[in-house]
Amino acid sequence: MNKFKKITTTTIIYAIVLLFVAISVYPVLRIFTISLRPGDNLLNRSLAIVPADATFDNYVRLFTEKPFLLWIRNSLMVSITVTIVGVAFASLAGYAFSRYRFPGRKAGLLSLLITQMFPATMLLLPLFIMLSKLGLINSFLGLIIMYSATALPFCIWLMKGYYDTIPFSLEESAMVDGAGRFYTFWKIILPLAAPALVITALFSFMAAWNEYIVAAQVLWYEEMFTIPLGLKSLQGNMTTEWGMYAAGSLLISVPVVALFLFLSRWLVSGLTLGSVKG
Amino acid sequence: MRKTLALTLLFLFVTAQILVSIDKVHLWHTMEPNKRPLLKDVVDEFMRDNPDIEVILLSKNVEELRTGYQAAAAFTGGGPELVYGPMDQIGPFEVMKLKNSDRSIIMPLEEVFPEEFFKKFTANGLIHYKGHLYQIADRIGNHLALPYNKRLFDEAGLPGPPETIEQLIEYGQKLTKDVDGDGVIDQWGLVWNYTEPFWYVPFFGGYGGRVFDENNKPQLDSPAAAKAFKLIKDMRDVYKIMPPECDYDIADNMFNQGNAGMIINGDWSWQKYMGSPEVDFGLAKIPYVEESGLWCSPMVSATGYSINSNTKPEVMEATKKVLTWLTSETVQKRFATEFKSIPSIKTLYNDPEFANDPTVKTSAAQIEAGQLMPIIPEMRAAWDAMRPALQSVVGGNMTPEEGATYQQKLCIEKINDMYEVAGAGSSQHITKYIIYIIGIALGLYLTYLLIFKFVLALLRNPYTMEARNARFAILISIPAAIVMFGVVIYPFFYNIVLSFSNMNMTNVNSWEVIGVEQYGKVLWDFDMSFADYRNSIGSEGGFVTWDYLKYFITHHKFVAVFIKTLIWTIVNVFFHVTLGVMLALLMNRKLPGKPIFRVLLILPWAVPQYIVALTWRGMFISDTGAINLMLNHLGIAGVNWLSEPTMAFIAAIITNIWLGFSFMMVIALGGLQSIPKELYEAAKIDGASSWKQFWNVTVPLLKPVMVPAITLGTVWTFNNLNVLWLVTNGGQPADHSHILVTYVYRAAFNLYRYGYAAAFSVLIFLFLAFFGLTFMNRSQVAEKA
Repeated sequence: MNKFKKITTTTIIYAIVLLFVAISVYPVLRIFTISLRPGDNLLNRSLAIVPADATFDNYVRLFTEKPFLLWIRNSLMVSITVTIVGVAFASLAGYAFSRYRFPGRKAGLLSLLITQMFPATMLLLPLFIMLSKLGLINSFLGLIIMYSATALPFCIWLMKGYYDTIPFSLEESAMVDGAGRFYTFWKIILPLAAPALVITALFSFMAAWNEYIVAAQVLWYEEMFTIPLGLKSLQGNMTTEWGMYAAGSLLISVPVVALFLFLSRWLVSGLTLGSVKG
Repeated sequence: MRKTLALTLLFLFVTAQILVSIDKVHLWHTMEPNKRPLLKDVVDEFMRDNPDIEVILLSKNVEELRTGYQAAAAFTGGGPELVYGPMDQIGPFEVMKLKNSDRSIIMPLEEVFPEEFFKKFTANGLIHYKGHLYQIADRIGNHLALPYNKRLFDEAGLPGPPETIEQLIEYGQKLTKDVDGDGVIDQWGLVWNYTEPFWYVPFFGGYGGRVFDENNKPQLDSPAAAKAFKLIKDMRDVYKIMPPECDYDIADNMFNQGNAGMIINGDWSWQKYMGSPEVDFGLAKIPYVEESGLWCSPMVSATGYSINSNTKPEVMEATKKVLTWLTSETVQKRFATEFKSIPSIKTLYNDPEFANDPTVKTSAAQIEAGQLMPIIPEMRAAWDAMRPALQSVVGGNMTPEEGATYQQKLCIEKINDMYEVAGAGSSQHITKYIIYIIGIALGLYLTYLLIFKFVLALLRNPYTMEARNARFAILISIPAAIVMFGVVIYPFFYNIVLSFSNMNMTNVNSWEVIGVEQYGKVLWDFDMSFADYRNSIGSEGGFVTWDYLKYFITHHKFVAVFIKTLIWTIVNVFFHVTLGVMLALLMNRKLPGKPIFRVLLILPWAVPQYIVALTWRGMFISDTGAINLMLNHLGIAGVNWLSEPTMAFIAAIITNIWLGFSFMMVIALGGLQSIPKELYEAAKIDGASSWKQFWNVTVPLLKPVMVPAITLGTVWTFNNLNVLWLVTNGGQPADHSHILVTYVYRAAFNLYRYGYAAAFSVLIFLFLAFFGLTFMNRSQVAEKA
């Protein structure tokens, strides 16, 4: 009887998981179909995943006719820097907010949230004016600062939330052993927060990787284009090179998936707190 | 010796570089992707002949070029030396003035070039506005015409393209058929983007209508308007020659794949059709209207180059040279031959190689029948007024006559909104000073807080353990604080100040603070008067309060959209969180194949939103979209997802749920790792059911991680412009599918109502701040430490 119940549960779980996997994958497969079609057709009445006249031409053209590798390089440079900044700054600030009481703590935490509440489209014009006054137009530095500021509020809150779940007793015993504040943070707490660091890294990376609107304002030279800008340049007012656009969209998801695969061992790591908690 | 030589060479090389200074000329343009390679070719050729000039190209679409150029030229005194685009951008450019000057952001070209220079151009290639020459066109056109597929015409035994509306309908019916015999029509007579006003104007013109009269007053309620509306609706519903749902991409793909006999589309698209294996391309004029004795008359506009008023004197010569080359006969001829475009050089009209081409001939004849695109900025208001009226009529929510009245009324309203400089009266001055005083008081209070609650608090008892801890904490949060403070503070206060100002397109560099008038406009704005409302529901006397309440909810513009925004946000976040947590729990179990599932489940987060939103839009199309086809398989009747207001909104919500659940799943997955397994074991021993374990162990321990994610997720969803905009194609149908951010984007940004838009967004901000702080306080995550 128990065995029967177990089998039913597993079947139901599999059914749910497979259903959602299908829902996740299907639209992406549609994009894949568009990328295989010759002749820039976004829509088609056929439901076949691989069209009859399928070709990898769009992928080839992306690399031969467009500076796709250059775009990738630019995007990687920006996104990786933003990831490093995001993870470093957020893991530090989140720790301060989680563990210490200091003047301005609550105000700081809440104002981080508040920065997210102004509709971003409204901030574009003043941001552009500010960047151009600071001479940061046409510089990756300007972009990196912008993207870091987009990513940090969420990352700090997430890190703080995660640190909150780590028991205080760990630090107390370390401090009793004579370890300094930074040492305790670095050696004891940070490794335990690996899953949150993974999310912070992914989120910061994504904040930079797929961003288009700010980049379009800031970058005026095609050789500085990031991938989203490069893809956008396949579009005109009325006409779009849909085949290449779809191909590019899929290709730029690959690094994100790879990053997730690489990081997921820490996201669901064996370093659970249970084993350290005395 | 060798070293000296090398040094000398290096020195010479460096000086040579300095002496031959290179002039950089930036050109922002709106050319379609298929024209860009040729543009690049001719520019490269130019740079070979002029090694001291470097031309830097940047392509943008029309909207982005306009706003981007205005931001750069009017607000920062910079921008590219040359801008290329359709002539109707001249109006919005002319009206914007430079800082401390009454010069427009584009230069009057008669001051730059000698009179001789202009002689070679046709009259419609020189764009004058308010007495100045602001643009030199390199081509005339951008007009719609009627491409048709000769192969399908032959199959149907039709002699040639239709010349009258009656023929259009007759031929259309012969071409509309079910080719494979499955009971579904798969070849249509006519496809076109019939819910966009640019495509409606030719028919409006065919019945004798013009958007503006000689004094630039809109006349959208002329009898022609209703006739054109009726014709469009009848072609679909009575004569059934076009598909029930059709936008630009649907029409374009159908024609290009040989599934439609005729399409109404612009000169930018013809080259693609000529290259399509499914299309035997022919071009015809949009037909003749017998009733009025006029040909249908599409908008015709020139496209050309203007010079930025901020161009530095030292690159002026180079800029002129580039402009001269790009509008020259050589270059125009190359574009004309390759793209069949109509040039602006007189002599080219006599060039036999070009003038005898059938496509060019028809295109030129169509231009002849067309109407010139008005340059005045009011045209933007007219487009925004025609669009909802057209969509309401086509959607069956208004009669053609009502649509005509409605678009006229809307157009006048929008023109007023656009030009009205708020705060002209003197009574405003009092509120203005009150605002100054409140501003100063707030500033002082913040300084007080900073000094007494922060700095002094830190300096008090500096040697205690507590003080050391505080210093350490502040030290490690400083990097993040600097980034956030540096980026956020200026835009934030800029917007607050703007919300109390009267800034619009006429005064970007001379606006003033006027008080709370813009807030008043947002908070007291109804789309019909209360008296009209009562008449429309036929209520006289009775419960005034109840009527008023209903009126307020349904006709107050802000409240009506606000309610929709709440529904949008709540439904989205609910599904994001429940699906995310559910999947995270499943992914946290022992499950063979889990790593693969996990990766596949994050795909919605990984793929760029833009293409995904458009793909979903494609899946929602009523007769060819995957979703209706699947519903049909299950025996459920399909739904008109994109043309019915509620359905369009639901379609956008479904898309957004798909886009967001992965993110919540990843967060929850991370959060689950911090829950010690012992707690579950202990709960099991106590005999707690799985549900109880979830509710008493999982939920409380997930909270610290999930609450910030939910709060921010809510805020992001509330302010999410892209998804709804893309799936509903800018609020379609008839501007019914809006949430606050898309509404303000449409209502304010398109018409340059900066002050109003800022006030609107401050109100959004205040609401979210109130919600966010309450939620965080109630869930206690900020306190806990």
